[in-house]
Amino acid sequence: MLNRRNLVTYSIAFLFILALNFLMPRMMPGDPLSAIYGDEVLVAMAPEFKAHLVESFALDEPMWRQFGAYILALFQGDMGYSYYYNASVFSVIIGSLPWTLLVVGSSLVLSTLIGIALGIESGWRRGSRTDRTMLAGLMSLNGFPDFFLGLVLLLVFGVLMGIFPLAGALTPYSGLSGFSLVVDVMKHMALPVTALTLAHLAGVYLLTRNTMITVLKAPFMLTARAKGLSQRRLKYHHAGRNSMLPVLTVTGIWLGRLVTGALFVELVFAYPGVGYLTYQALLTRDYPLIQGIFLIVAIAVLIANFAVDLLYPKLDPRVSYAH
Amino acid sequence: MHISLKKEIERSNAGRVGLSLLLLVIAAAVLAPLLSSYDPGQQSVGSLLSPSGSHWLGTNHVGQDIWSQLLYGARTSLMVGFGVGIISLLLGILFGVSAALIGGLYDKIVMRVVDAFIVIPMVVVVILVAAYIKPDLPVLILLLAALSWQGGARVIRAQTLSLKESGHINASRMFGAGRFYVAWRHVLPDIVTILLVEFIYGVRRAVFMEAGLAFLGIGDPMLVSWGMMMRDAMSFSYLDVWQWWLVPAGVALSLTIIGLTFVSHAAEAALDPRLRGAEVA
Amino acid sequence: MLEISNLQVSYGNDIVLNGVDLRLSGGESLAIIGESGTGKTTLGLSIMRLTEGKVRGSIRFDEKDLLTLSDGEMQAIRWNRVAMVFQNVNNVLNPVHSILDQVAEPMIEHKLRNKDEARTKAGELLEQFGLSQKRFSAYPHQLSGGEQQRVLLAMALANEPDLLILDEPLSSLDVITRGELGDLLRTVGNHRARLVITHDLDTASRLADNLAVLYGGKIVEIGPTREILQRPRHPYTKALLRAYPNMTTVKDLQGIKGRMTRPVSGCPFHPRCTQAIDICSETIPPLTWSQGRGVACHRGGIVTLLSVANLSKAFNSLKAVDSVNLHIESGETLALVGQSGSGKTTLAKTIMGVYPQFDGTVYLEGEKVTSYGKDFYKRVQMIFQNPGESLSHRLSVLESVMEPLEIQAIGTEEQRREKAIQTIGEVELSRSDDFLHTYPHHLSGGELQRVAIARALVLDPDLLIADEPTAFLDASVGAKVLKLLLNLQEHRGLSMLYITHDIAAARKVSDRIAVMLDGRIIEEGPSNMIVTAPEQSYTQHLLGSASSLHLDNYT
Repeated sequence: MLNRRNLVTYSIAFLFILALNFLMPRMMPGDPLSAIYGDEVLVAMAPEFKAHLVESFALDEPMWRQFGAYILALFQGDMGYSYYYNASVFSVIIGSLPWTLLVVGSSLVLSTLIGIALGIESGWRRGSRTDRTMLAGLMSLNGFPDFFLGLVLLLVFGVLMGIFPLAGALTPYSGLSGFSLVVDVMKHMALPVTALTLAHLAGVYLLTRNTMITVLKAPFMLTARAKGLSQRRLKYHHAGRNSMLPVLTVTGIWLGRLVTGALFVELVFAYPGVGYLTYQALLTRDYPLIQGIFLIVAIAVLIANFAVDLLYPKLDPRVSYAH
Repeated sequence: MHISLKKEIERSNAGRVGLSLLLLVIAAAVLAPLLSSYDPGQQSVGSLLSPSGSHWLGTNHVGQDIWSQLLYGARTSLMVGFGVGIISLLLGILFGVSAALIGGLYDKIVMRVVDAFIVIPMVVVVILVAAYIKPDLPVLILLLAALSWQGGARVIRAQTLSLKESGHINASRMFGAGRFYVAWRHVLPDIVTILLVEFIYGVRRAVFMEAGLAFLGIGDPMLVSWGMMMRDAMSFSYLDVWQWWLVPAGVALSLTIIGLTFVSHAAEAALDPRLRGAEVA
Repeated sequence: MLEISNLQVSYGNDIVLNGVDLRLSGGESLAIIGESGTGKTTLGLSIMRLTEGKVRGSIRFDEKDLLTLSDGEMQAIRWNRVAMVFQNVNNVLNPVHSILDQVAEPMIEHKLRNKDEARTKAGELLEQFGLSQKRFSAYPHQLSGGEQQRVLLAMALANEPDLLILDEPLSSLDVITRGELGDLLRTVGNHRARLVITHDLDTASRLADNLAVLYGGKIVEIGPTREILQRPRHPYTKALLRAYPNMTTVKDLQGIKGRMTRPVSGCPFHPRCTQAIDICSETIPPLTWSQGRGVACHRGGIVTLLSVANLSKAFNSLKAVDSVNLHIESGETLALVGQSGSGKTTLAKTIMGVYPQFDGTVYLEGEKVTSYGKDFYKRVQMIFQNPGESLSHRLSVLESVMEPLEIQAIGTEEQRREKAIQTIGEVELSRSDDFLHTYPHHLSGGELQRVAIARALVLDPDLLIADEPTAFLDASVGAKVLKLLLNLQEHRGLSMLYITHDIAAARKVSDRIAVMLDGRIIEEGPSNMIVTAPEQSYTQHLLGSASSLHLDNYT
């Protein structure tokens, strides 16, 4: 639900992200510019460029002025310059973002759909062999970290069986287009998405299952049975429809987990998304890039949460905009 | 609620499996020096050796004994896990209980802040901070704890609120009891079960985080960590070496987390009577 | 159309329905009345085959035994032939679908109509039950309790079932809405068979022509509603009527002694029954029919405890009591109202055998009383107007109360003491040693009367004759004594003959009133009838001059 309470929360989160991003380099001992760019880079930097940076960051001004300059720059889309990539931070990140979105988006959709479907089946047949097996299986699956799953998948299907490619989002220099391009993308994304989906699946499944168990005991289920409705209708239209809701509520919060997972999985598969970018940035101490990634990722998650909050009332009529 | 959590966990299948796994890991951590003959940091002559009599899991790329690393890695995971778990829990209790009992503006402010933190992805923040501050063990624990107590605080606050309405708290207030007294003698004993569940969640999250961060290369390089082992092993995935280097580390990590998952599932079921019975668990 | 035979339903070791027989034809209405826990909802659910318990017996619907049908066949019957209106609780309707959809759903799913037709018909039904079109897309939680009940009713009629089962259809509603919906139900459901399940007599009498009283998993009484409510024949039914607040009854509310417990051997009601005999705890009484009424009671229904036929007593030429016919049923209070000199005290004394010579007969539980001895006095006792006189000044409280036990030589000295002390406690007097050894002249009027009552009760009589018991007492004290008598009646299953000149008091404590004038009983009937619609002018006169606050005198 979107209301005053949530807006305050999101505002606080937003401010915290901005503040942290701003303060981290400036709180380091020593020259702030060196904190922002790293010593190695500064050494290689031309003095005029350095002066230009000092000016644009307002580094010789009081803190609040600096913050003002910082915010101003952000609004203009200027997130700094990545010396390593020799391009603006913003453009570097934008180049990687679509891949991450692709992987995260697909995993989100797949894990939510499969998790809900399995959860409904499990809850419906509670106590049966199917249920108990699924429960044990998925709980165990839940214990495997996504990067380990990714590694195992890579080794089994990539290295040993050679079915899927070992790295990247596209086959390099292939010059594919149209349908074969799509196939290529899908082949490269198959394992990362699988890893991420499997890791996220169990949470969705468990929540749906538990809700289903509760829902099945509700009075309206007896009413529905009395109406002589088919088992199928009872399971999906009546019980299922009610059991999906809690998952959708927490999807926003879980999104953070998915994004984090993507970071690790991209690393495993050398998938050129924001995660892999982060890893590279850490290795090369490309501070502006790290900061830019932090900002974009954190705010993206915030926006996604926001969107889920907006959508939720459409699905659960008990919740209204008015608070 | 007079359910003995311990009994309930021991009674369920999941609980028993989970506890066994945990005990295994704890044993490995505690008995590490006894069970391994090498210091994990010691570099011997042969690097990337296959498993043999003297090196049960072979050696890594700088000649360190993998078996020893595996055992000592348990220590890191558990230390971070429990360290973060405890601090997280304490902060959660502090803010959750106080927000519920004090109420008013204080409650509103605390809850807004808590909610704000919940929405922000923890790992990304740690990455940012870690890029600047190279975290050693205590710093890492504090950092992770600072970012993970919020979830528990919410739950603890909710429980305390519902308890607040209950008779015996009101009764003691009527005798003139101060808020601290109420919290200590009336609230805490009743929420112990939920605290335990939250604690297990916290440990699980922290173990996961620590491994993940080590995998990314963030963490105390002096410490042996399963995440780091996996990271190092990854570069050599074209060799056979992953079988006894990568997999054991990954499996050890997974078993630890699975153990915690199972125990928390059993604990959760004990708390919610509707979910009990006819479980695998 | 519906025939239930020997239906037994149990949950584990708990037997909820213990052999129920019912019959319902098309267009007929039957209400099942019972307090909570008697199994009435289970009965409804069993017909729909929705109970979780173990079901035995047979439920024949249109020649087919529903209990033998397959799931598929049962599914076809549900809602199409038999529909149920469930109790209106939170979440009885699916919270994520609109009410229009939920009413239309059974029509669509059973392939009776296509989507559009179903929605149109659903709309019509909702309107018929008082919901306007703009509410159609509302969700259940947006509706008030009354509106939700309307939806449940409309929904039940969607597939035009032949049998409608209604579980507490009006209980969640305020009184005014109740009237409205009750009327609506009668018109709309008129040609359908209706089974109304409720604990509420008001609902039952509004909605059903026939009534079945359920107790302890069995039907104890069944027959036309009107007749049962006017003249209940089973002790439980009568007690239920007494316990139920309504505008018709004037007697103060009374509970039923004890609580319902399961399992019980023999008649399920016997632990709480005022007229139970040995066989009642041994065998279950079958439902026997007479005059269109079924009653399950070993004693054939409520027993007449005392009756007098043509009783007359004259003193020389004065006929104090002139051909009196009266009866008192087990567990009831009959008030004998008349002015001084009407002969009421004489009548009482005659019944008690004070006068050796009289005409006419006295029957105790159907048997003629031939001699007045210990046996009689063990069962009938009396308390008098002036307790100060009726208690001996020489005897202490304890001694007075013990006296009847000594006279009848019951038990040992110790046992008599115990019994006496227990009874003294029952009349809400102190059991301390000091009090037990107090002499009458130290006691107040109220205390004295209580001692007298204790003395009368110590033999555990079935009938207590109370002759103007509050005449010598202050109003507040008298009120307490009356309340005590009512409580004792409830706890002990006591019957009472309450003699008074005060019709205002009489109607508060009695089930029936007999009006006496010049030695004759000129009018007799249920208290509410006598008080609201007296036939005799004398009765009217009595009522008119009865104690009142005369508020209309002040202008």
